[in-house]
Amino acid sequence: MDLIDRYLNAVAAQLPLDERDDIVAELRDLILSRFEAGEDELGRALTDAEKEAILQEIGHPLVVAARYRKGPDALVGPELFPYWLFGVKAGLLVLLAVHAIGLFINLIGGPADAGRAIAQAFHSFFGAGLTLIGAATLAAAIFEHYGIRPTWLTKWRVKDLGAFGLSDPAAWGASVAATDKAKQTWMPRPRKGWPGGEYLFSFLATGVFVLWWVGAIHFPGLFHVGLRGEDAVATGAPIWTTLYGAILFYAVAQMAVDLASLVRPYAVRMRAAAQAVLAGIGLWLTWTIFEAGHWFTLTRDGETARIAGDWVLLDFDRLRAIGDGGRDLVGVASTLSLVMSWAIAIVAISLMFNAVANLWRLVQPERRSAT
Amino acid sequence: MIVDPDLFESMRMELRRGSLVLAVLARLREERYGYTLRQALASDGLEMEESTLYPLLRRLESQGLLTSEWREEEKRKKRFYRLSPMGEAMLSALADEWRGINASLDKIL
Repeated sequence: MDLIDRYLNAVAAQLPLDERDDIVAELRDLILSRFEAGEDELGRALTDAEKEAILQEIGHPLVVAARYRKGPDALVGPELFPYWLFGVKAGLLVLLAVHAIGLFINLIGGPADAGRAIAQAFHSFFGAGLTLIGAATLAAAIFEHYGIRPTWLTKWRVKDLGAFGLSDPAAWGASVAATDKAKQTWMPRPRKGWPGGEYLFSFLATGVFVLWWVGAIHFPGLFHVGLRGEDAVATGAPIWTTLYGAILFYAVAQMAVDLASLVRPYAVRMRAAAQAVLAGIGLWLTWTIFEAGHWFTLTRDGETARIAGDWVLLDFDRLRAIGDGGRDLVGVASTLSLVMSWAIAIVAISLMFNAVANLWRLVQPERRSAT
Repeated sequence: MIVDPDLFESMRMELRRGSLVLAVLARLREERYGYTLRQALASDGLEMEESTLYPLLRRLESQGLLTSEWREEEKRKKRFYRLSPMGEAMLSALADEWRGINASLDKIL
């Protein structure tokens, strides 16, 4: 099977049966015409790489086939999107409020295990939130597919619009009180423009970390884990000693970048380049720590348990069962192992996004002046 | 004043999108197949991706504005398109509308 057949088979598989042969025949003619034009230009037969480059110019099979679709192009089209977004935002805020109230009542009602109650509230909120988003998207997709536009979307009256302001929680107080004074108190203020505040905060926070890392300051109780009865003490695994210098270098380098950004807050490209490099170093550190597999050891009354993890712990079923761990030393170590594994994974993902975002800023063309 | 290149590109594409249908209809007063139509549009300064042009041709045909015919040329079967009578009427109406918009914009610009 040659390149063209393989490409056209991939397109054909996405097309409706009644039009498939016709569309594929026309695309085949287009591709052959492009190949012939290339051969005429070069005066020789095209190599496979050159043919592939032409096919890539024509487009990915999924994209090419999608252009022939007759139905809507999106699950939620531009006409319905504002309604979908409002519904999702308002629904999530209501869910958040309901779960927060439920959790508050649960906590002040004397729970047997506050940690478990909080974990269950989070689990329930995220589950309900995802269901809400899925249901809203499904409803919008059905509206799009059948071209349904309910009368409440098309025949609205100005006097019914008050509720739409409630999707902004900052406006809730103002909406309830409805006085100018209350609005001044509750409505959000526009943000101030100085970008240095972010860098100053990062500089100070990293500075505190560096002072703690080199032993200049201490946080009593930081490595004590509360268990029923006597507290357990956490001691660092050998990986922290191995990476001591690298972590110190990383933190000091971050402070240097923050300081440089404070001096020149509008040097966006310089900061992006430095942050991209730092994100790369951070990823290496995160990977090395994760691969070490053993992070802390919990000790109580001569009994020990390891806080350790690997890929097996990065499983949503285990995360869902996070509140089920025992309160004995081994159970707590097991829960902390799960929390640390996920925390490291989240840090790694966030560093990847950070690296990509900063690299993107670097390759963005310079802004140009209008003529 | 600064012009954001991404924003400019997106607005430029939006501006061009509607005019491409008019250009395709106008070029198909004369019978052509997809590849030569694209070349003709490109030589007019209206570059168009194949993945946009070919589905557009099918849509215009399903709307009754074009007719098509498979025919052999240069030892290969090709699909030739041309304006249908309804397409000619539509082109004439759209061209009037286009000239009207142009005249209005010229006054403002």
